[in-house]
Amino acid sequence: MAVAKAEDGLNRSAARKSFGMGEIVKRYGIYLFLVLAILVTTAISPAFVSGSNITNMLMQLAPLAVVVIGQTFVILVRGLDLSVASVMATAAVIATSFSGQDGAALTVLFASIAMGAATGLANGLLVTKRNVSPFLATLATMIVLQGFRFAATQGAPSGNVPPIFRLLGSAKFYGVPYNLMVMLVMAAIFAMLLHKAAFGRRVFITGGNPVTARLVGISADRVIIACYMICGGLAALAGLLLSGFVGVVDNFVGRGFELDSIVAAVMGGVALSGGRGTIPGALAGAAILVVLSNAVVMIGMPVQLQIIVKGVVIIVAASLYVRTAR
Amino acid sequence: MLSLSGVSKSFPGVRALSEVSLDVRSGEIHALVGENGAGKSTLTRTIAGVHQPDEGTIRFDGRDIRWTSPGDAKKAGIHVIYQEFVLFPHLSVAENIYIGHERKTRFCLIDHKKAAADARELLARFGLDLDPKAMVSDLSVADQQMVEIAKALVHDVKLLILDEPTAVISGPEVDVLFKRLRALRDAGVAIIYISHRLEEIFALCDRVSVLKDGRYIGTRPVAEVDRNELISMMVGRSLVELFPPRRTLAADRPTVLEVSDVSVPGRVRNASLVLRAGEITGLAGMVGAGRSELAFAIFGALKKSGGSVVLDGKDISKTTPAEAIAAGIGLVTEDRKGQGLAMLLDIAANITASTLPTVTRYGLIDRNQENSIAEAEIANYRVACRGPSTGVLQMSGGNQQKVILARWARTSSRVLILDEPTRGVDVGAKTEIYRIIHELADSGIAVLMISSELPEIVGLSDRVYVMREGEIVGALETDEISEQAVIALATHQLAA
Amino acid sequence: MNLTRSKLGFGINRSRAGIIVVVALLAILFIIGIAVSDRFGTSRNLLNIYEQSTGLALVSLGQTLAVLTGGIDLSVGSVISLVSMLTSGLISGDQSMVIPVVIGVLALGLAIGAVNGGVIILTGVHPLIVTLGTGAIIQGIALLYGLGPIGKVPKGFDYFAYGRLPGGISFGATFTMLLFLLTAFLLARTKAGRYIYATGDDPHAATLMGLPTTRIIMLVYMLTGFCSALTGVYLVSRFGVGQPYTGANYTLASITPVVVGGTMLAGGRGGVIGTLLGVYLVSLLNNLLNFLGVSTHLQLVAQGLVIIAAVSVYVEKRRIA
Repeated sequence: MAVAKAEDGLNRSAARKSFGMGEIVKRYGIYLFLVLAILVTTAISPAFVSGSNITNMLMQLAPLAVVVIGQTFVILVRGLDLSVASVMATAAVIATSFSGQDGAALTVLFASIAMGAATGLANGLLVTKRNVSPFLATLATMIVLQGFRFAATQGAPSGNVPPIFRLLGSAKFYGVPYNLMVMLVMAAIFAMLLHKAAFGRRVFITGGNPVTARLVGISADRVIIACYMICGGLAALAGLLLSGFVGVVDNFVGRGFELDSIVAAVMGGVALSGGRGTIPGALAGAAILVVLSNAVVMIGMPVQLQIIVKGVVIIVAASLYVRTAR
Repeated sequence: MLSLSGVSKSFPGVRALSEVSLDVRSGEIHALVGENGAGKSTLTRTIAGVHQPDEGTIRFDGRDIRWTSPGDAKKAGIHVIYQEFVLFPHLSVAENIYIGHERKTRFCLIDHKKAAADARELLARFGLDLDPKAMVSDLSVADQQMVEIAKALVHDVKLLILDEPTAVISGPEVDVLFKRLRALRDAGVAIIYISHRLEEIFALCDRVSVLKDGRYIGTRPVAEVDRNELISMMVGRSLVELFPPRRTLAADRPTVLEVSDVSVPGRVRNASLVLRAGEITGLAGMVGAGRSELAFAIFGALKKSGGSVVLDGKDISKTTPAEAIAAGIGLVTEDRKGQGLAMLLDIAANITASTLPTVTRYGLIDRNQENSIAEAEIANYRVACRGPSTGVLQMSGGNQQKVILARWARTSSRVLILDEPTRGVDVGAKTEIYRIIHELADSGIAVLMISSELPEIVGLSDRVYVMREGEIVGALETDEISEQAVIALATHQLAA
Repeated sequence: MNLTRSKLGFGINRSRAGIIVVVALLAILFIIGIAVSDRFGTSRNLLNIYEQSTGLALVSLGQTLAVLTGGIDLSVGSVISLVSMLTSGLISGDQSMVIPVVIGVLALGLAIGAVNGGVIILTGVHPLIVTLGTGAIIQGIALLYGLGPIGKVPKGFDYFAYGRLPGGISFGATFTMLLFLLTAFLLARTKAGRYIYATGDDPHAATLMGLPTTRIIMLVYMLTGFCSALTGVYLVSRFGVGQPYTGANYTLASITPVVVGGTMLAGGRGGVIGTLLGVYLVSLLNNLLNFLGVSTHLQLVAQGLVIIAAVSVYVEKRRIA
């Protein structure tokens, strides 16, 4: 606050230097990091870039990436969504709750996305109308969803996922995984929504400062709720993709995705303070996580070390985007 | 007391201070002036230990010094009161005053009672009427500044630096501040007073130093310099007239906005005013009088508890900001960074922020159109920047204000409310902004200008309303407007 | 400046309003409990609730401090797991090793906290992300030490968790409560305590006022690490052996009592007493739900709803717009 005014003068001139080393690292650092990670792993284990492995990684990336897209919207408006994993699992349970045949596919799709959007609506309302901190609001909805899910399935979900989702989740079309295609379509749509559409501009204004947004006539509350609903809906879709991939449904589908999606976004340059970030960057962050988890297996790293490496990478990648003294 | 010699300071990409040499004596009030970006803030922070100089020496109280942290400077007796207060909102007044050097009992534990008692005594000694146990975030801005001053008075302050202290107080509060500063000066304290308000400098200070572009221009005793000379030192050219020539208006201007008996709980009570097309209506009063709240209420950003607002005959009492904007009302807020600008975005985005639909086609933003709009406004308002994609974060106060004006000029077809339009704006940009305001009024907009700077009110307004403690206590027509008349109403002084 | 006001804002930053809410909820649940079952209000049941609150209380104590500075520590679960493994693994049933090992792991907790604090300060990355990363690293280390339960402890070790003082009052829970009271006292009466609140309230102001923010952050995370380590020891006392994932649930669980007790995630407001009451609230709630015969699954739902209820009370009234 008090610092900002002083930096007024110096920042003005600092702007002239916008293509210094620091800026290059900040804007493209995450992509460089990704490339570096791939190169290093390939050097150690050339099988890493084999066709089958790449396809494998892309299929793992797809569900995570879809969630990350949604999480990006939420973080941009100064929020966090911890309920995404719960939404994913609930979507997976919904998938098995109907006939298990393709005829139910549309019902499953609508029901899941509706559930996800409804969760997002609840989150958004808690955050905007009751002023609950996003961490808590989404933590609470996560727990509540989990409870309902467990109660409905008595702890042991059964039933089949309609074959079409198994197809979308795990099959390929001439070598290109369907779930990757779904993800790319979603990425294209939402990247355009965020970076080219008027709605996206409102998201950035609101995330930068909700008061400013209101004073220029933007309904900050509606924008925020919309972001949570987008996140919920995408999480549900990701849950369906993941259930198709895994094949067997349990109550913990998507476990870990909530923290992973936040980490991926932050590594990709989406600022937790809001108002700053890009979808391509966030997707790169997701890619790094997938490459990482794959690389450590390829190298033959034991699971304990895998976790450690993940921790280190998180910290290092996040450090790339730190801005000194606002 | 303080002597700088050849002090330079650079940050990545910019040389903020270039071989500045300056000396400030104890027992004097020394003004420091210069345009935004001249280096006043950097100089202050260097003296206060926040930054370390790259070159040059600083001598304080007879010794060469090199602070490594603000704490060192404080211990030596240097205290800074920043424009944006350095207070802890959720600590009490007493806790804020004694932070860093708490009152302690025998076992090194904090003694709350003693702190409160000492605070009460300190505040009383200087005539400050505050409850030591009150939480700072509950206080008014003027009271918060009092806490800041009390913080300085706790130590043996040898050098007190005030950065734009009257930005948030006015009228009698300013007089009180001046009285205290004079008392401190007479007690031997060295005071550096930074302000854009030249009339204050002439009223209060003993000597004045000018900075320009990070360089030291010169020091003069206040008694031996006049306003124009000062301005030309600051700006490098002489500015003849600050205010554009007075306009003569036709007698019968149509009424555009009628505010009747508007109340905002706790802040505004039964306020009524009328705005006419093409007129600049000033709204004067002390800080805390409720003017900003009235503006927000008209705009629909604050809930009213009563009264009505009628625009061109249509009742818009229950409006939201979005609806107000659509109806042709604009509001330039007093807080640029915290309310007015989307700080993380660029000029183009800020200019179109309230009119997104006009640059949106099929839901997508037409960047080309947006940029050409921005370029036109940049040229029109003479905004100093590298283009429409320049981030506003890095711009000077004056340029930022122009961007905001450009934004609202686009939609305010009927009413434009300006809240402290030249706060934190340097002299050169001020003149331009006044010209802009005139042009906007000439185009038929009804302008409501809230300002705490009397010269501004007197120099620009066609009519003036004065508020005091939430109520409108007077209206002055063109020939009645004068600084004395305004002050009289704002502070309930009976004689001029 | 700050344009919002807390709806229930009175008293100074220790958020007395928060405590009132928790106490009210406690009372309500208690009354419901008595109405539901006569076994609820028995001293035996209440003492059990008291005893079972110890683990959560210990870790939440440390978490409160981190949150007060505006940060958070998501590595607590991993630290608990690692410490539990090391404790039972190194003691290995040998009575003479008990004291050195316990001292050692507590020191380890401090050290890990120092690392957390150091990384936060040096990299400038948000504590949420940093502790997420360090948490992963520490979990990996725990797994390196052992992939399953390891070691054992001698007989008297379970006193911490199960020992009872005269009257049936749990030793562990009382020890914990005293720890809370001590911390509350220190927070209110020492400079360090004051600076913790100040740093959380406005970090920029803290730096400009010359407060030792670096040392404060280090101190706070070291204390959080210490509390996590203590929790790890407690769990060994409770289960007799350390396990690699024993602390996993405690990470997110430690945040609920902190927030419900009135400490704001933004920092600068709240206190440890509120957290302690929040812990009792959670324990009481779980107990009550058992009595109501609510399936464990719906207990989760209830917990979530209680969180929302407790937190929704503090609506900050928006001034502008």
